Amino acid sequence: MENNNQDTLYQVVDNVLEFQGHRFFVATQGTSLKTEQALIYDAFIIEAGDLNYTLHILKKIRGHLNPELYLKPIFLLKGNEKHDPLVNNLTDGVIYSLDQVKLVIPVMEQIYLKVADLSFTRSLSFEAQMIDKILNMMYSRDKKELEPIPYFNSGIGYSFPEASINFGYRDEWQVLDILDIAEKEGLFASEYLDRIYLCNNCSGGFLSYREVCPHCASTNASSEDLIHHFPCAFIGPISDFKNEIDNQLNCPKCNKMLRHIGVDYDKPSIIYTCGKCNSKFQDISVRAKCMMCTKDAEVQYLIPRDVKMYRMTKKGETSAQTGYISTSKDIEEFIGTVKLETFKTMIKYEIERLKQTDYNSNIAGIYLKNAGELYSMIGASSQRALLRDLVEIVRRNIRSSDLITFQNVNIVLVSLNEIPTKVADNILKEIINIISRLIKQNFKNFDVDIRYSVHQLNTRLSHELQIQQVTKDFVD
Amino acid sequence: MVEFWDDFFSYLASVGYMKLVRIFWFYFLFEFFRYIFLETLALFSWKFKQRVNRKALQEARKLMWDESPLVSIIVPGKNEGKHIFKLAQSLREQTYKNYELIIIDDGSDDATPEICKNLERNGMITLFLRNDVRGGKASAANLGLRFAKGKYIIHLDADCSYDRDAIENIIIPFYFDQRIGAVGGNVMVRNYKESLCTTLQAIEYTDTISVGRIVTSHLGIYRVISGAFGAFRSDVMQRIGGWDIGPGLDGDITVKIRKLGYKIHFEPLAVCLTSVPNTFRKLIKQRLRWDKSLIRFRLRKHRDVFLPNQSFKLGNFVSFAENVTYNLVLNIFWYGYLFDMIFNYSSQLKYIIIMNFFLYTLNNYFKFILFSPFRERKHAPIHYFLIYIPLMVFYFGYLLRLVRSVAYLSEIFFKASYKDPWNPAKTSRHAKEMGL
Repeated sequence: MENNNQDTLYQVVDNVLEFQGHRFFVATQGTSLKTEQALIYDAFIIEAGDLNYTLHILKKIRGHLNPELYLKPIFLLKGNEKHDPLVNNLTDGVIYSLDQVKLVIPVMEQIYLKVADLSFTRSLSFEAQMIDKILNMMYSRDKKELEPIPYFNSGIGYSFPEASINFGYRDEWQVLDILDIAEKEGLFASEYLDRIYLCNNCSGGFLSYREVCPHCASTNASSEDLIHHFPCAFIGPISDFKNEIDNQLNCPKCNKMLRHIGVDYDKPSIIYTCGKCNSKFQDISVRAKCMMCTKDAEVQYLIPRDVKMYRMTKKGETSAQTGYISTSKDIEEFIGTVKLETFKTMIKYEIERLKQTDYNSNIAGIYLKNAGELYSMIGASSQRALLRDLVEIVRRNIRSSDLITFQNVNIVLVSLNEIPTKVADNILKEIINIISRLIKQNFKNFDVDIRYSVHQLNTRLSHELQIQQVTKDFVD
Repeated sequence: MVEFWDDFFSYLASVGYMKLVRIFWFYFLFEFFRYIFLETLALFSWKFKQRVNRKALQEARKLMWDESPLVSIIVPGKNEGKHIFKLAQSLREQTYKNYELIIIDDGSDDATPEICKNLERNGMITLFLRNDVRGGKASAANLGLRFAKGKYIIHLDADCSYDRDAIENIIIPFYFDQRIGAVGGNVMVRNYKESLCTTLQAIEYTDTISVGRIVTSHLGIYRVISGAFGAFRSDVMQRIGGWDIGPGLDGDITVKIRKLGYKIHFEPLAVCLTSVPNTFRKLIKQRLRWDKSLIRFRLRKHRDVFLPNQSFKLGNFVSFAENVTYNLVLNIFWYGYLFDMIFNYSSQLKYIIIMNFFLYTLNNYFKFILFSPFRERKHAPIHYFLIYIPLMVFYFGYLLRLVRSVAYLSEIFFKASYKDPWNPAKTSRHAKEMGL
């Protein structure tokens, strides 16, 4: 296929369109796309005829873990197909014929401009990797909000396009966990929108709610009105009052005909009869059957989850630019360290203790400035090994009563109690030397930038402020 | 004061036997004869019969355990949620386990539905039924009856608790005599130490229920099965269509069963503890309601018992006659006796009142101590009650007599029971129109 018009000069050979030096892969119905080849294209144009095919290609690109692929612009060559919110959210524009390809060039350039701001690091955990990916997608598309869209093809009923595309139908619920972590890390601010209930077995959101017998859980239950006949105080289901001759209602106790509701009888409640176990009950149970795993659960045991709209914070934006390596949870798990909150509490107590004594205690920070660079060179398991070694080195050089914590993946905080600051400084120097040597030995081409700072604890300042001062040294 | 007592003892010494009988004719003619002489005879006769029937009673117990029938325990009530957990727990302690517990909530406006639904979910209640609109105790009990599956129906009050073998003991009489249609339990006072009012009621219950009902049951004239604890044959309940509109439905259903020709039995071993009104105001309100039912049910609804038509039965006639005589007729007579004393012995009235007090106190001590071996828990200490017994003269002889009089008059002349808010107006209106 060829177009010789000067303004829209393009050529399509084997599904590849070249225009103004850009190479587009045109995914037409039935064309397969190999991911390793996909990296060579600047953008993709998907012919939107069959929704399943469109989603297949989108998933292949946007669901990939390589930022060089998942960040590539995708455009839709659209006819009059039905509007699909997921497709629309994950594509960067629509053209109605290949002749309009020039229109997408500015969009592509804008995306690539934003992508150039990003740093790609290897994250320490799956969760961190997903968060990094979501942040990258949003930043490159200049998107501030991640809004859930009600989507019938979603495993939880709502789709967060940039996040959900990474998951299959059955494990889409993980998106909620990941976004919650991101919110806790301060990368997103949220706004409550809705609440959904998930299966307590498989976390699926495709539930069928049914009224069932509370005794045998059968759906085969029927209800009847109860009738109270005032004159004789008889009360029973309406079937007790019916006869086979006419439509009148007669009291089985006194044989009187019921005449006027509210005057000689009323219907104070209803009663259910189970067609399976024949039990009688007034409160029918509601159960939810999961259409994914077929588990039938009582509704009170379903897992309630809040569906929120997420807004990227400044921290989120910065994390996208610098690369998001780990969540707090990832670094809290290292043996020999304590949680940051625990560390802060212990420093607070230490300050209180110092007020009563003449001792001198210190707080120190170790800063791996180019940690992101280093981590991007190695895999997640090696990152963990490196951090483990780092903790071990610090631990070996301090006393067992001193504490270590990660403020983030770049900064390690250490408490050095009851020693002069000068001694603490020497200990830190020694630690830095060992760490530098270790990194140099293992990563020969990598020039490590590692710094440290030691502060004597001041009994007149708050623990929070003193921890901030240590961190501030590195920023400055 | 000393002079007064000198005069009193001089008067006492001068009164001969004949004059004593003349002055206290009411006591000697009616009360001594009925409550001391006849009851003593009946109690000894009952004890003798117990001994004779010892083997038959054991056989009945064995038969009951062999069959172990399903028993439906129905508990109707409004705003009784706070008592239901304790009740269900006390029933779990029962020696007899084959029962279903049906709680009927008659339009409660508190947390009763939530409490009961929770207990139903936890299996402590077999079936919880609720009428969103209040229909009265009879309709609530009938709703429970409609869905009961047991061979025997036990009607309980939610605020009562039961001896561990109470259910077992209340069912056994059905296996002793096939003609027994209903069995009444032995209702005792749980909160007897709470106030003077409850202590006096405890003494009254000991006399009129724990001992009095042994006598009436033995004589075949037992007429009220307490709503707090009563057992009924399910087939009999189906025949009579359950309870009719109250107040006074306990006595009414007993009469209905008697009319079918069944015996009514009192079982002293089936013990139920209940909390009685703790103030005299509450007590008077309760008794006004109870006492009106004598006029409404004995003299109006079931007046045919007195008439020699087809439904006439001697036992029922005697039962009714004794009840009407000793409660209504003698209540009127007592005022006649009062006038007799005022007009004929006006100068000696102050001495007569004191003698009357001592006479009845002596009578009450005699009954309380002498009849103790016949009542259930005969070994329980009675000393706590002994100092209160003199007060029974005022409680039973004056207060309750006055309450009875007011109740009878208000029912005879104004049909007050139909206006009692204890029952919803929508049903009472029909009961009144139909003379029920």
